Amino acid sequence: MHRRVWDSMSTLAGGTTIPVPDHQDKSFRALFFMGARDAFSLPAFMVAASMLGYGAMVHSAGLGLGVAIVSTLGIWGLPGQVAFIEYMLLGAPLASMMIGVSLANMRFLPMTLSLVPMFKGSKSGWRWRYLWAQFMSVNTWVGLLRRVPELGPDQRAAFYTGFSVLCMSAGAVGVTTGFLLAEAMPFYVTVTLVFLNPIYFAFVFAAMRVRACLLAFAAGAIAGPLIYLLTPEWSLPIAGVLAGTVGFYLDQLLRRST
Amino acid sequence: MSGGIENMSAGMIWMLLLLAIASTYLWRGLGTVIAARIDPESKLFQWIACIAYGLLAALISRIVFLPVGILEKTELIDRLGAVVFGFIVFFIFKRHIGLGTLSTAGMFMVLVWARGQGFL
Repeated sequence: MHRRVWDSMSTLAGGTTIPVPDHQDKSFRALFFMGARDAFSLPAFMVAASMLGYGAMVHSAGLGLGVAIVSTLGIWGLPGQVAFIEYMLLGAPLASMMIGVSLANMRFLPMTLSLVPMFKGSKSGWRWRYLWAQFMSVNTWVGLLRRVPELGPDQRAAFYTGFSVLCMSAGAVGVTTGFLLAEAMPFYVTVTLVFLNPIYFAFVFAAMRVRACLLAFAAGAIAGPLIYLLTPEWSLPIAGVLAGTVGFYLDQLLRRST
Repeated sequence: MSGGIENMSAGMIWMLLLLAIASTYLWRGLGTVIAARIDPESKLFQWIACIAYGLLAALISRIVFLPVGILEKTELIDRLGAVVFGFIVFFIFKRHIGLGTLSTAGMFMVLVWARGQGFL
């Protein structure tokens, strides 16, 4: 029963459905390195490249390297980081900065809601859940969800830690490099690096095989800019709930009719 | 555009950064608290996952069509052209994530560069 439900989840986060290999005998170390290897296949490079652009941005804003690194690992979500730097530049009121950064990272709420339950059924995995929430970015979220079907609850924490640690290290290296190279980086490079992150995720999600999620994703892509025109501050939660609901029910409907 | 940062002390900057981190963790923490009550095998859980995908799509699409900040200084036609080009490559190569991403980024960089040089 369990296996079957996880199978249906496997495709939730993207990629192909693969035959389920058995990792039952793997040690913490082996699972940690499995996660690190997964991250090394492409995600870590994407993190490093986007943080390169962010590092250059921080430098041109006149802030220090310490701020660049701490904001990367602390906020750990590019839209929120970019919002933070822009509010600093504007010298906007404190409350407006906090609301802006917070709203830019609102996606973390539904994301933790779908990530954290994956650690249920594992004593140690569940105990550290507030730390896993901090490790979570779109990258690490997708990285874990696509492996969930083949990993038992007790194995996920080790895998997730390996994946996250590699991504965060790549982020720290990237932001430092970007900060130091900022003056040598022309505008067209910096702006491309900042654009890289959303683009990469667009393709990660477009490669998904689960119909409900794909439908939600397509609906969100259409609703996002339109609702933004109506209400910039609240467009993300509204578009998210709307698109998610459309995707969810459209999938149910299609399931019933076939 | 700047004017904020020069007038700020280092302590002030770090305090603002800590507040920014805290206001981000708010969502993470809140999600973790509520997650304890969610059954990962329920319909509710699937609906929430759909919302996460819808919200991410809305965010990405908004960045392409109506960006704020540094991307605001680029042209819509450049951003859109690069994305369309990338998706064509993506589908030609049987939904290859790496190739789609790189061709979009490459095309975008060329377009922005050409515009900066006055070629476009």
